[in-house]
Amino acid sequence: MRSERSYRVYAFSSYRNPGIDEIVRSTGGSYHIGDVNSPEEVKQVVGQVSPDLVVIGPEEPLFRGVSDAVRELGVPVLGASSKCSMVERSKVWMRELMWKYSIPGRLRFRGFRSVEEAASFISEYGASVAVKPAEQVGGKGVKVAADLQAYLTQEKRSALSKGVKEVASLIKEGYKVIIEERVFGPEYTLHVITDGKSHLALPLAQDYKHAYANGIGPETGGMGSISGPGMLLPFINEEEFMGTFEIVKATTDAIKRETGEEYSGILAGQMMLTTLWGPTVIEYYSRLGDPEASAILPRIDGDLGELFEYAATGRLSRVSLAVNEERSVVWALAPRGYPLNRAMASGHRVSMDLSKMREIGCRVYFGSISLEGMSLVTRGSRALEIEAEGDDAVEKLERCVSLVSSEVKLIYRPEIGRNLEEQVRLSESVRYAYKLRERNNTLGVSVNWSPKSGEF
Amino acid sequence: MGIFAFDEVWNVSRFTYYGLVALQHRGQSTAGLSLLSRIGISTKAERIRVEDMDVEGLEGWASVGFTGVRDVYPVDNGSVSIAIDGRTAADPLTVGEMVFSDPRAAVEVLGDYSSFIALSRSGKIAAYRSRLGLQPLVIGGFGFDMGIVASEPVALDVMGGEFRREIEPGEMVFIDKYGVESLRVKAPLESYCAIEYIYQARLDSKVNGSSIYEIRIKIGERLAKERPIMGDTVIGVPETALPFAVGYARALGLDLDLGFVRTGTPQRTMILADQFMKLVGVQLKLNPIRSAVRGKRIILIDDSMVTGNTLKNTVFNLRNAGAKEVHVLIGSPKIVSGCPFGVEIPDESELIAANLPEDKISAMIGCDSIAWLSLEGLTEVIGHRKLCTGCMTRIYPKGGDSH
Repeated sequence: MRSERSYRVYAFSSYRNPGIDEIVRSTGGSYHIGDVNSPEEVKQVVGQVSPDLVVIGPEEPLFRGVSDAVRELGVPVLGASSKCSMVERSKVWMRELMWKYSIPGRLRFRGFRSVEEAASFISEYGASVAVKPAEQVGGKGVKVAADLQAYLTQEKRSALSKGVKEVASLIKEGYKVIIEERVFGPEYTLHVITDGKSHLALPLAQDYKHAYANGIGPETGGMGSISGPGMLLPFINEEEFMGTFEIVKATTDAIKRETGEEYSGILAGQMMLTTLWGPTVIEYYSRLGDPEASAILPRIDGDLGELFEYAATGRLSRVSLAVNEERSVVWALAPRGYPLNRAMASGHRVSMDLSKMREIGCRVYFGSISLEGMSLVTRGSRALEIEAEGDDAVEKLERCVSLVSSEVKLIYRPEIGRNLEEQVRLSESVRYAYKLRERNNTLGVSVNWSPKSGEF
Repeated sequence: MGIFAFDEVWNVSRFTYYGLVALQHRGQSTAGLSLLSRIGISTKAERIRVEDMDVEGLEGWASVGFTGVRDVYPVDNGSVSIAIDGRTAADPLTVGEMVFSDPRAAVEVLGDYSSFIALSRSGKIAAYRSRLGLQPLVIGGFGFDMGIVASEPVALDVMGGEFRREIEPGEMVFIDKYGVESLRVKAPLESYCAIEYIYQARLDSKVNGSSIYEIRIKIGERLAKERPIMGDTVIGVPETALPFAVGYARALGLDLDLGFVRTGTPQRTMILADQFMKLVGVQLKLNPIRSAVRGKRIILIDDSMVTGNTLKNTVFNLRNAGAKEVHVLIGSPKIVSGCPFGVEIPDESELIAANLPEDKISAMIGCDSIAWLSLEGLTEVIGHRKLCTGCMTRIYPKGGDSH
């Protein structure tokens, strides 16, 4: 992350993020507040600043064509085009693409335009299915029920059907719900930077979705993450890493053939190691995942600005990546109330001894927290991410958490970064099973059947 | 057990029911559950087998459930519901009322020998495991939808949930809509109940970090080392003693046979509180398979011996079915004393091993020889000495003040 070159960083954001603000000030840039999803507003800011490179963080501006607008101005931009970001925006589009181009790691699925259809499908295929909103809605509304075991079916089905209504209410048009075959196994994310011609894989990471301690509670954007050691994770081997890289590369190629546009930016495969395929795609991000990026980026030795610039200007083949071997661990801190009650989680003052935390060796990232006057105030989502590296990463994080005080209780997941043995054991049994399929030529072969509607 | 759904669309009544069915080996004379819904806490608790409990029409997004031998739980007073596992001199509802405002004081009132799960009307579950760890207690979840606490992980398995970890002795866990919190209330004085390992916990459970199946196989292997008998076949008394028989036969290279077929449901004879049922129970339930035992020298393994009457009947039936010799092995050390902590073991006056010498016991049972697992053998198999073996040694762990 260190840079030999001197950058001037400008920011455009919907609110003043204290961490970004610090960087902007220290590099002599300027901070602009506005609607980052509006191509017009972004163009205006780009016009004022006339930057050498624009990096787009979140997915929503990509969906709305912000990257296309910046490209039109002739300014290099790291961020997929609106068409290319369909791979994240629409799960049905993504799955259809994977099937059309026979990309390994695909799951059987069905998209539904009406809630009623989906609900009746759920009750017919009482076997294991995963229900998700068909379009990206900021991670909200995903309800995956565990195995529908025969004797519990009625309860789960009725709750699932209620869940479907809730999920669908978040979507405006087109496919409302996607139902997929359900798989299990350890999850991990591979981020790939590409200029359309060359691909560069970043170290693997794993994020943790459950909101509360012990891996319990509602789904969040992620309450923490781990990365490393090396390019891998303790439960994913080199071959699986390469297999995953091939899947992501094949996907960028397929997107190009489908849309006619070069995929330029970041494509992250949210993966699962399954007995069905080995590496299996659960979903794609068209940007850096959060909080995975907080665990990955600090481990990259070298100039990130240069890396992004080369990717944005089609010169990625010149770059090679050096990665710090040591593992990293990230804990997110969120105000109590998150994620079920934003109002309850908003508007609370938080303070911390930042210099002491840095002394300990932790990096602190500001998330959903804004600088209002002299105070840091929660905005309802994950307020801070704290990152530490090395074998004693977890101990460092514990010390840092004690240096944060808040008007509201902050929730976090102290077990993240600990006890990976269970996942290692799980991956070993999954690995045995998919290897057996590989030998029997049955990778990816599965079916659901119902007496009424037959095969799905 | 207790369930908390983070979204009120869920009705947890049947989840609780099936969780309790999976825990019914811990006691099946009483059953009950409390549910929290828009109308508050409602409770149903009866002297009934959990499987016979009718939960049709009951609704709520959070629950406390119980299946037991004598005590009828949960009890509620409208603002809180609680189920206690183990013995306490305290009034359960007093503990339940206190725990949500002052958990430490609630545990002071409770004492060191029992565990509990409480549910408040305001929507919070508190689960506490005794500092001695006498009763097991685990925590887990169901997808993104529920937090669950239960005596054994099998309760989570059957409902499709995920076991996360055991609650530590002296630890209290709170679950509500906005978080899962852990509070270290008491320093642990680990003294895990030895009976959990021998027959109380379910075979597919994991208790105190140990796989129950592995431990019971090892008990069989240990018996083979302590008392090798080269008979014709090894038979375990179903269901609990079957893994002992597997371990014993494996270790000595002997045949293993299924000696009995059960009539009716597999309830533990010892847990049936009714004396009369205990006597007639075994005949009714364990019918010997004649062709498996006829003409054979049999090593019969049982999990424990209380009054000896069940075993006497079993041996009688085996001989009646044509067995040549019957050598009895018991997968536990001699049980010589009752349990003050709530495990269903009769008083000393009813325990044959506390009252008769071995030769007399052998004569009473009507077997050709008899032996028990040694206490040393038991602790070696379990792998540590942080155990309560009070019913075998008359030495009971003491709570906080005396340590």
